[in-house]
Amino acid sequence: MTMLSERQQLSYIAAQAADARLNVELETEGMTLNIGPQHPATHGTLRIIARLDGEQVVWAEPVAGYMHRGYEKLTEVRTYPQVTALINRIDWLGSFANEVPFILAAEQLMEVEAPPRAQHIRTILFELSRIANVSLFLGDLGVQMGAVTPVFMAFRDREYVLNLIEGATGGRFHPNFDRIGGLKDDLPKGWIDETRQVMKKLRNFCDEIEDLLFGNEIFQSRTRGIGVIPAEVAKEYGLSGANLRASGVDWDLRRDQKLPLAYDKVDFRVWTHPDGDSWARCWIRLQEVREATKIVDQLIETIPAGPVMAKVPRIIKVPEGEAWVSTENPLGEMGYYVVSKGDLGPFRVKIRSASFNNISITPWVLKGVYVPDIITILASLYFILGDIDR
Amino acid sequence: MGLVDRGRLPAPLTKLFNLGRSYSMWVYQWGLACCAIEMGAAFGSPRYDVMRLGVIPLPASPRQADLVVVSGTVTDKMAPAVKRLYEQMPEPKYVISMGSCANCGGPYWDSYSVTKGVDQIIPVDVYVPGCPPRPEALLEGVVLLQQRIKNEDMAARWRGEGFTPLQRAESEPIVVGGGPIE
Amino acid sequence: MVERLRADLGDDVLDVHLMSEVDVWVRVSVDAWRRAGQALRDQGFDYFCFLSAIDWMPSPYGRGEDDPSAEPAEDDPSASEIRQGYAGGESRFQLLARVNDIRRHVAVTLKADLVPDADGVMTAPSWIAVHAGANWHERETHEMFGIHFDGHPDLRNMYLPGDFEGFPLRKDFPLLARMVKPWPGIVDVEPMPAAADGGDES
Repeated sequence: MTMLSERQQLSYIAAQAADARLNVELETEGMTLNIGPQHPATHGTLRIIARLDGEQVVWAEPVAGYMHRGYEKLTEVRTYPQVTALINRIDWLGSFANEVPFILAAEQLMEVEAPPRAQHIRTILFELSRIANVSLFLGDLGVQMGAVTPVFMAFRDREYVLNLIEGATGGRFHPNFDRIGGLKDDLPKGWIDETRQVMKKLRNFCDEIEDLLFGNEIFQSRTRGIGVIPAEVAKEYGLSGANLRASGVDWDLRRDQKLPLAYDKVDFRVWTHPDGDSWARCWIRLQEVREATKIVDQLIETIPAGPVMAKVPRIIKVPEGEAWVSTENPLGEMGYYVVSKGDLGPFRVKIRSASFNNISITPWVLKGVYVPDIITILASLYFILGDIDR
Repeated sequence: MGLVDRGRLPAPLTKLFNLGRSYSMWVYQWGLACCAIEMGAAFGSPRYDVMRLGVIPLPASPRQADLVVVSGTVTDKMAPAVKRLYEQMPEPKYVISMGSCANCGGPYWDSYSVTKGVDQIIPVDVYVPGCPPRPEALLEGVVLLQQRIKNEDMAARWRGEGFTPLQRAESEPIVVGGGPIE
Repeated sequence: MVERLRADLGDDVLDVHLMSEVDVWVRVSVDAWRRAGQALRDQGFDYFCFLSAIDWMPSPYGRGEDDPSAEPAEDDPSASEIRQGYAGGESRFQLLARVNDIRRHVAVTLKADLVPDADGVMTAPSWIAVHAGANWHERETHEMFGIHFDGHPDLRNMYLPGDFEGFPLRKDFPLLARMVKPWPGIVDVEPMPAAADGGDES
């Protein structure tokens, strides 16, 4: 794997030397290409400044901050239940998954634990938000390479998942359903049957996408061997989630961490890929949607009976202390470092979001690639702007 | 045709033009945050199918667009870009502000880096409240805007008098959910 | 792990806070910041999680929920007292970083006290040589807290426009919107049940 990166570097140096000769002979000048801040390929408002030499990128730098909303400061002036409403909007495609680590951190400080039924339903909703998030990625992937059809299919099947989330929580996008000590409500009647149907549809959707995109020659030639990230570099930059597993690192917080969630009751596989290129990252995400549907299928059959809310005081005051909880969110490792002073609201919350680390590798990985590959590499790294800028 | 820019237009012709304009709106999607996904669901998904309303959501650049939907949080760093976008659009141009953040700052009303409403930068015709609004709410906003366009005096706008209605003497911004659709 | 770190760093390990089955906090001196990162990396903690800082001073503006037109409350000396968290500390600002060992599934949270020099500038060694991914985290920390990182090539603003003044995450940075207008929630707030008879369960 390091071999490839060295080759990349060497080809870059060779190209530089060739271009330097050309520059002397032909007096060509480099060009600066600005992508963004609003560009369909950037999933929001990321701006990328690339210095081009011919068609090769000499250096590229993302400019973040067009979506910086000051979460870490705002959490200091909110109470704990208010923070939950706010942090839904960090990764807006998988909103429920944002709440879970924060609630778990607060529960860890308060030394309460949600009842088993609540843990179970939390895990189901967590995986549903993963499906809602990554299925849009799979559809969007086609758009980045010029195929428009997959995005319509993604929006079609994503609506079913959003209906499920809305049916259980009342919110299509931002459920704000998680409470310290459990959940706001129980599942509605008939929800489990419908979930079973939708999971079948989602598996069909995965098959369709696999046939349409992953078997496509154009797709393969534009992603195979492009944007290779070796495992060492990935760990150094703190990549997480599918980006890390696509580099061959077998690490999944759902399996490797002991948290009060129901992952230890299900049987699922953590997929890894040895290549570390764009194709591997996309493929891992496809498999993850499939695994998520299987996890949901197993969990809805075994929901334990009981209350969904533990006994917590009416006014939530979290005792003094510090806690760090991170979970395997759709985009990668998302964690909250919560510092409490025994007040109504947190004293300081450091939000470690996955996309921030995932995208900080771009200056490294975009060096020496060709212009069209910028788009595919960014698409395969998969970021959400709210998750970078917060 | 030279009729509009002379500043005078017969009323039946205005109505005809307005009908044509309101059902061939090219909308530029200025998606910024969470609402962008709901806007995508409204404009790009088979379930909501915006083209049946005579709205074409795929212009190549703001220079071809009649309508821009600003959806999501506008930050102080983004504000110059939003202003430039608006200036690039040809007249007559309309703005829909989608979501609480674009309307007034929303949940980030006290943030140090968020612009408290896109109407501080550019004029807004329709406000769609919600966090985020459902796609249906955005479609209602589009329908309300079309009704407004049908009622507009184009020649007066050309003379630089801003929005002047043909019949009713009101030109307040429209808020979705504020009243029944006629 | 802690023993090995002590052996590597000697007296620079100032304090250790261990919660069994939860986490480990280690406070090192700021001079040893880079060496600590390197030593941990050599031990196998090669996954870089995050780097940030904490301002331990309580906010002089409270929680911003008071009516700004009300009279300022009497100065309460305990309200401005600085209390550090786990693993102790002496200074107002502390660096905070976390690295994981993903083979053994353990992680450690590092802290370091930051003391401002005569010009009020706090400096810490940069971690870029240890973890290249620290680049953006240090830029963010520099922007939010005004902490200077020695050896960082490029400490430009990352989030905010270039002409922004102040360091937003310092506790003495006011949220102007809250200063101008009271929190709208206080208008229609229900009378809270007294916290003294707390524990009344819902």
